[in-house]
Amino acid sequence: MDSSSSQYVSTRNIGVYDPTHQFTIWEDHFKSNGDLSLYEPNMKFNNQSEDASFGILGTSIKYDQQANKLTEKMQRRLAQNREAARKSRLKKKAHIQQLESCRLKLVQVEQELDNTRQQGLYIGGGLDSNNLGFAGSANSEITTFKMEYEHWVEEQNRQILELNSALSSHISDTQIEELVNGIMNHYFKLFCMKSDAAKIDVFYVITGMWKTTSEQFFLWIGGFRPSELLKVLVPLIEPLTEQQRFDAYNLEKSCRQAEDALSQGMEKLQGMLTDTVAAGELIEGTYTPHMDTAIERLEALASFVNQADHLRQETLQQMSRILTIRQTARWLLVLGEYFQRLRDLSKVWANRGREPA
Amino acid sequence: MVSKNAIIVFARCGCCMSHVVKRLLLGLGVNPAVHEVEEKDEVGVVRELEFIANDGRKVQFPAVFIGGNLFGGLDRIMATHISGELVHILKQAGALWL
Repeated sequence: MDSSSSQYVSTRNIGVYDPTHQFTIWEDHFKSNGDLSLYEPNMKFNNQSEDASFGILGTSIKYDQQANKLTEKMQRRLAQNREAARKSRLKKKAHIQQLESCRLKLVQVEQELDNTRQQGLYIGGGLDSNNLGFAGSANSEITTFKMEYEHWVEEQNRQILELNSALSSHISDTQIEELVNGIMNHYFKLFCMKSDAAKIDVFYVITGMWKTTSEQFFLWIGGFRPSELLKVLVPLIEPLTEQQRFDAYNLEKSCRQAEDALSQGMEKLQGMLTDTVAAGELIEGTYTPHMDTAIERLEALASFVNQADHLRQETLQQMSRILTIRQTARWLLVLGEYFQRLRDLSKVWANRGREPA
Repeated sequence: MVSKNAIIVFARCGCCMSHVVKRLLLGLGVNPAVHEVEEKDEVGVVRELEFIANDGRKVQFPAVFIGGNLFGGLDRIMATHISGELVHILKQAGALWL
């Protein structure tokens, strides 16, 4: 930069009345300020010399100076543009972030409203934010889980519709198998989602707060009870062979045995958790010092959710082994429709009071 | 201990999952031996059990050994129970007579 400036200076020299004098000044300037901050002061000198030299200089030098002036103006404008673009990008980013957090907040509020309605509680003004946890988890990860679950339900309903129309049309067994695997994997995906959410808030998951009230009524360790479903739904997928009916009956029995074992384990855990909470000392409103034990219990609770889901998963898989592919499709259809009706029942009941008489 | 029993369950003291394993097996008519492990002995016991198992698998509590071999945890018990294989396996190991 310095070298080009000095060259510039020497070019300018020609147009100045007292070249030697000007040159000496510039030279001193360069000597005293060896850095790029020189650029600014240089400009002042340059402008002065431009004015002075306008009438005297040859065209080529005038053009040179004007070209340089243009470049400077252009460069200034480009820099300003860059700055403006950068600011606008930052503004846009901030705006989007704001929108995202508002959206999350909206879902949270909707969820709390839902829970409040479900539990028949009134949360008015004057309550602090701690009490909001009472009506539903205000945790943002749980809100995300609830949102993802809503999407899961929509996808489930779509899959059921697709399977329904596929079964009534003439499609191959391979295509049915594809749809069946899709639905099975969709259930397994929900179990994964629940497992992750249980690590954040196990009580939320295990009490089924994310489900409709009717589903909550039939809840067993954070989900459906496999033996009950088998008992009610298997008759709906007749005709079955004698062997299949026998296998399905045995599956129902095995489920009940597994459920009983898990339930008994849960009871024991509940007792231990109660003891931990009761034994903890309350010092100035804070809960100490048995927090570690309590956390251990809650982690065990989360593993119960996982085991219950594992049982549900194994049951679904065993059914697919007992049945032919088309029967499995019918089974999943019946299962999906059952859940849909249960959810709708909740909404119908909740809305009946709002309908005009 | 492992070789002496047709079926034995190793579990942490007061573990609720081992309670589940126990109740499930009892429900099938099996009376499993249960060995509770204190927290301080855990690491040593795990290492010993992994040595006995000798197939590179990690031992997690509750751990079930059937017929002297590492069978697995509650996951495997559940899976084989639902698929109907567990009863047969237990009978073969002599843990169940009926």
